[in-house]
Amino acid sequence: MALNGALSALYSFFVTKLPYITIAVFLLGVTYRLQRWLSAPKGPEGPPLHWPSALKYVVLDVVLFRKTYKTDKLMWLVLVLFHIGTGGILFGHMRGFHLWSASMFEVLGHGFAEFMVHTLPLYMGWMFLATQIYLLYRRTRLEGKQLQSLANDYGALVILLITSILGQGMRIFPPEAIPTETYSVVFIPNLIVLHLEKVPSHHWFFWHVLFTQLLVMYLPWSKLVHVVSGVATSALYGSRRRKYDL
Amino acid sequence: MTSRDAKEALGKFTRRQLMELDTCAHCALCTEYCPVYMETEEPGHAPGVRSSKAVKLYDKQHGLRARILGPRPVTDEEVEELSDSAFNCTFCGRCMEVCPFGIQTHELWSKVREVVHDLEGTPRNVGMLEEMLDESQNPYGLDPDSRLDWADFTDLEEIPEKDKAEVAYFVGCTTAFKGANHEVAFATASILNMLGEDWTLLGEDEWCCGSPLLLAGDEHSAKEYAKHNVEVLESRGVKRLITGCSGCYRVFKWEYPKLLGGDLKFEVLHTLEYLLEKLESGELKPEKTDERVIYHDPCELSRLGGLIDEPRKVLAYLANDWVEFAEHGIDVRCCGGGGLLQASNNEARLAIAKKRLDEAKSLGAEIITSACPSCKLTFVDSAREHEVDIEVLDLVELVAKQLGIL
Ligand code: SF4
Ligand code: SF4
Repeated sequence: MALNGALSALYSFFVTKLPYITIAVFLLGVTYRLQRWLSAPKGPEGPPLHWPSALKYVVLDVVLFRKTYKTDKLMWLVLVLFHIGTGGILFGHMRGFHLWSASMFEVLGHGFAEFMVHTLPLYMGWMFLATQIYLLYRRTRLEGKQLQSLANDYGALVILLITSILGQGMRIFPPEAIPTETYSVVFIPNLIVLHLEKVPSHHWFFWHVLFTQLLVMYLPWSKLVHVVSGVATSALYGSRRRKYDL
Repeated sequence: MTSRDAKEALGKFTRRQLMELDTCAHCALCTEYCPVYMETEEPGHAPGVRSSKAVKLYDKQHGLRARILGPRPVTDEEVEELSDSAFNCTFCGRCMEVCPFGIQTHELWSKVREVVHDLEGTPRNVGMLEEMLDESQNPYGLDPDSRLDWADFTDLEEIPEKDKAEVAYFVGCTTAFKGANHEVAFATASILNMLGEDWTLLGEDEWCCGSPLLLAGDEHSAKEYAKHNVEVLESRGVKRLITGCSGCYRVFKWEYPKLLGGDLKFEVLHTLEYLLEKLESGELKPEKTDERVIYHDPCELSRLGGLIDEPRKVLAYLANDWVEFAEHGIDVRCCGGGGLLQASNNEARLAIAKKRLDEAKSLGAEIITSACPSCKLTFVDSAREHEVDIEVLDLVELVAKQLGIL
């Protein structure tokens, strides 16, 4: 499909220039976040990290969502599926960056490999979208009654949702072409190069690329920081339980 | 309030607390477990909303925009809202226990109250309580020399006040000054006498443990109280401190070392730990009651203090038939009596307790027992207010009763 000049330049910018900006903004965000925390007073509280307890509660609470299971079974299911979706999608993308290949699954049969690289991602994508829509719906339903969201609570969810819709769009809308060789998209030469089996539908692809990068840039500035800090708070909680002999 | 004061006040959140505020996803998974929110249904009383309000104010003074363009003023209305949220909390720690990130809300809400205190937003009733403490070293504003009146009211025969003793019984203000708890003190003293323990009361030298000051957000004054009490106990050569108040226990055991920057030279025991020791050694031999007993875990003793099995072991010596609440141990639902809620929202306090009493009744309990004078007072007040017919006894009273002392 022929793209007009301006759009083509924009899409080229998403791939060739934006990755540098993304990395810079991401690193700036990480620096800001660390500086924000480290500039606060140290405080007398807190037992020293007790690694076995810390690890135990990270596994129970972060990996298995023990507490959510105790409090809200539906939310637990949604969170489990959401995180499986996140993991699956991240893993799937790694194939494009040649961190693994479909042949890995060939030992279990060609049909299985086909399922893993073509069928499963599509369903995982729908599941991922459904869980995000539920999370957004739940937030709006409880808003002003049980919770008071800040702009960045919605910001993270909305960017993720748009990114996922665009990614799923790439899967369901017909590709532009199937090249004989893999189709490579060079974000950063020799460092971040994406290899695709099909030439994707351009609009879905390039906007997905844009929103993925916006998401990465937004990560350290947003509520999504809990992906990392939640592990730390759970580890500290585990140490506390140990200290209080609970 | 100058903007410099606001900046300083909000700058008190520690590293961990700031990370926790940033981690809180405002997911509301804790909301329906908060006893106060479930009673008032006020959005501002939900734990996650408190965290939203706190981080919003923090960012006004310390956030990225504030760093680049300068801080924005914190309005009186915002301070009032944060204060209303902070003081409509029993400090039960249940939200920590259900939070998927394990945010240590007990310390976090404490810091929020400290910030509110520094922003001059402490509710009037709580402020009065601080004034009374200032004048009389107890939160009830009663004459310090009436601290041992409970002994006269209960006809206790031996009232030791020694210069040196192995064991000190720290009565605590809510036991010493509230009639509903006088028999708890009497029971404890009688058992200590019966066992021939080398023990003492501190009399007028006993000051409030400082818990209400911490709950009011006045850490500075709480430190003074801690210093005083520790000096008095050390000067009397005390090796073991016994207290029947779960608030005093938690503060002595977990807060004093932080406030004073080091470990205490004496052991801190809740009365029931001491009683369990004596029951297990066979020095105390109570008879078992056939009445159905239910035990309510005081939040400060269980989830926030670490004593969950001990009271149950004591109970096993006292009752043939005892039952558990659905929510107990680390998952206990608060009685409503903590966090100075009596001063800020007594109606909610009594209504929260009523739910607990109703559940106890529905489980067929004839006696509801706990190990905290605040819980007992709250249950007694609520049972009277809402006409619930159940006997409320502290576990120490139950021991004394089964020993034939009470
Ligand atoms: S500590 Fe208890 S009362 Fe306070 S917000 Fe948490 S659950 Fe509610
Ligand atoms: S459960 Fe934890 S993360 Fe969720 S709103 Fe409550 S305190 Fe915040």
